[in-house]
Amino acid sequence: MMRIFSSYRTEIAIAVAIVVLELALGILVPNALTFGNISDIAQASAPLIIMAVGVLLVVITGGIDLSVGSIFSLTGMVTGLAMNSGYNSVLSTILGLLVGVVFGGINGFLVTFVGLAPFVVTLITYAVAASLAFIVTNGHSLPINDQNYYLLNGGTLIPGVPNFVLFCVVLVIVTEFVLRRVVAGRWVYAIGSSTNAARLLGIPVHRIRFSVYVVSGLCASFASVLSVSYISNAEGTAGEAMMLQAIAAVVIGGASLFGGTGSAFGALLGALMITVIQNGVNLIGINSFWQGSVTGLVILVAVLIDRVSKARR
Amino acid sequence: MPRQPGLRYLLAAACAVIGLATVAAHPASAADKKLTVAYIAPSLDISYWQWVAYGAKTQAAKLGMNYVEFTSENSPGTQMNNVRTALTRGVDAIVMGPVSSSSTPPILRLLKSKNVPIAFTGIGPQPGSTDYTSAVTANNYETGKAEGSFVCKAAKALGGNKIGMLSLPQDRENAQKYLRGAKEAFAADGCDLVQVLQTHGLTVREAVDQANDLLTAHPDIKGIYGMYDEAATGAAKALQTRGLVGKITVATADGSPTTIKLLRDGVIQGLFLQEAGGQGIDATTQVFNALTGKPTTKDIPLAEPLVTKDTIDSPEAQATIKRVYPPSAGAF
Repeated sequence: MMRIFSSYRTEIAIAVAIVVLELALGILVPNALTFGNISDIAQASAPLIIMAVGVLLVVITGGIDLSVGSIFSLTGMVTGLAMNSGYNSVLSTILGLLVGVVFGGINGFLVTFVGLAPFVVTLITYAVAASLAFIVTNGHSLPINDQNYYLLNGGTLIPGVPNFVLFCVVLVIVTEFVLRRVVAGRWVYAIGSSTNAARLLGIPVHRIRFSVYVVSGLCASFASVLSVSYISNAEGTAGEAMMLQAIAAVVIGGASLFGGTGSAFGALLGALMITVIQNGVNLIGINSFWQGSVTGLVILVAVLIDRVSKARR
Repeated sequence: MPRQPGLRYLLAAACAVIGLATVAAHPASAADKKLTVAYIAPSLDISYWQWVAYGAKTQAAKLGMNYVEFTSENSPGTQMNNVRTALTRGVDAIVMGPVSSSSTPPILRLLKSKNVPIAFTGIGPQPGSTDYTSAVTANNYETGKAEGSFVCKAAKALGGNKIGMLSLPQDRENAQKYLRGAKEAFAADGCDLVQVLQTHGLTVREAVDQANDLLTAHPDIKGIYGMYDEAATGAAKALQTRGLVGKITVATADGSPTTIKLLRDGVIQGLFLQEAGGQGIDATTQVFNALTGKPTTKDIPLAEPLVTKDTIDSPEAQATIKRVYPPSAGAF
């Protein structure tokens, strides 16, 4: 028990903070604690959680992925375009997911095998994917007319558990397990802690680094198809705000942008924290322009707490 | 150095060839020069400005004008650079959706000094400005009032008087006008505006979340007032998820293939059509008139007529919708 507490100190602190925040919100707006609102928070945060888990892997290796927001937008447009062109929903979804794999692969290749800086590479793919998101449909948003497509997000593979919850939980648990218990997962941390040391230890740095960018792209695409399924609409600007939110979620969750630390549970909680803040600001009726400031303040507090706790250790 | 008359003749011949080539490359003489209009959009990442561009482009072709397009990426600096680039390219007139009203005075000064006509679309110039040809805008105040009245009456018919609003950012002049009109209508018709949530990104996803939050904070609302198209799409999704379609009325400004379909399906009840394409058409016509010595109209506040499920197929409504978006965007 103590070991778990020690391993997940940051995550537990964030979880407590979320609960306190939600309870405080419940005092101000009683409906905040209803099942409906908690369900809304879960639904609103699902794409962000999935995207944040992908970004986390890149961040742990000491990299950054700025392209996820644009991949999110482009995936939606490709999926929507395919469905509106008569392809069935399964094939359209696969085509959408391929967007993430391709862009993640390009990111991974340029970072790993060409040796370009992750910031530069993903800034380029961010711009290209954002541009393509408009080019593929000439900028028009696309309604999804397949009446059953909502089942991908809102259906229930396990009775009583909506798919978006199931997907998030499974992704977070599997990622956490891989990171903590599987050799390849430990290598991800090792690369982020010291790439040179990892190389000397015989860790396949190139392969692992390439893989995390592909997974990050895939996660962004998966988040997008879930979102498209939920709102029955694809938009070229859908992912614009999400890249910063995903990175913020990862940082709030205790990951260091210098690499070597972070957890999937932390990314989950970071994404939840951001969504709870957005929800709270709306419920209380604070001008929504304050959301960015409040989120920034939370990131600052999270980073400071992390810094203090590390200094004590 | 000995004189070389042959070289002189060679140079003269070369100059003549270059001169002829230049004339050949630019066949339009001053007498029959084709006019060029530049459309400068604040950004082209939202459908509205693309549809204005479509209107300007098709009208330019109809009037026999060349058409060039720029996007200011929501930056006043880029907007000014675009104007200068357009002038360098020799455009004869500018149609502009400005980044903001306050960004227009230096542009108007520059264009006045070059004697180039400008017509604004969507967003007008800084109040008090006079050095422009035309401003083709939507009558946001009157629309705000009409939509407020529509939503309030529909809410009362559903047994309540509380309204929630999904607003454009209130730092925009058009959003302030919508809100002022709506508040006056609510006060006159006896409705309470219980909450206003402003958008950041104008996305459906954000609107869904905000509509859900609105319904959680105020479960007793009977009307949702949208200021932009995605607001109604988002509100509709939230109502569908909660099984509240028909129990809460939704109306919005703008109009798109998505909201037209929602209107036909009875998920939303009112659309106040904003003629995005029509603004581009009218603004281009105004600068063409200015260039050809025809009369122009300084301010053209276009009405945003209401369409409902019952009136959507009327000839008038269909004619208006065709001035909202191009056929390539979707069904009318």
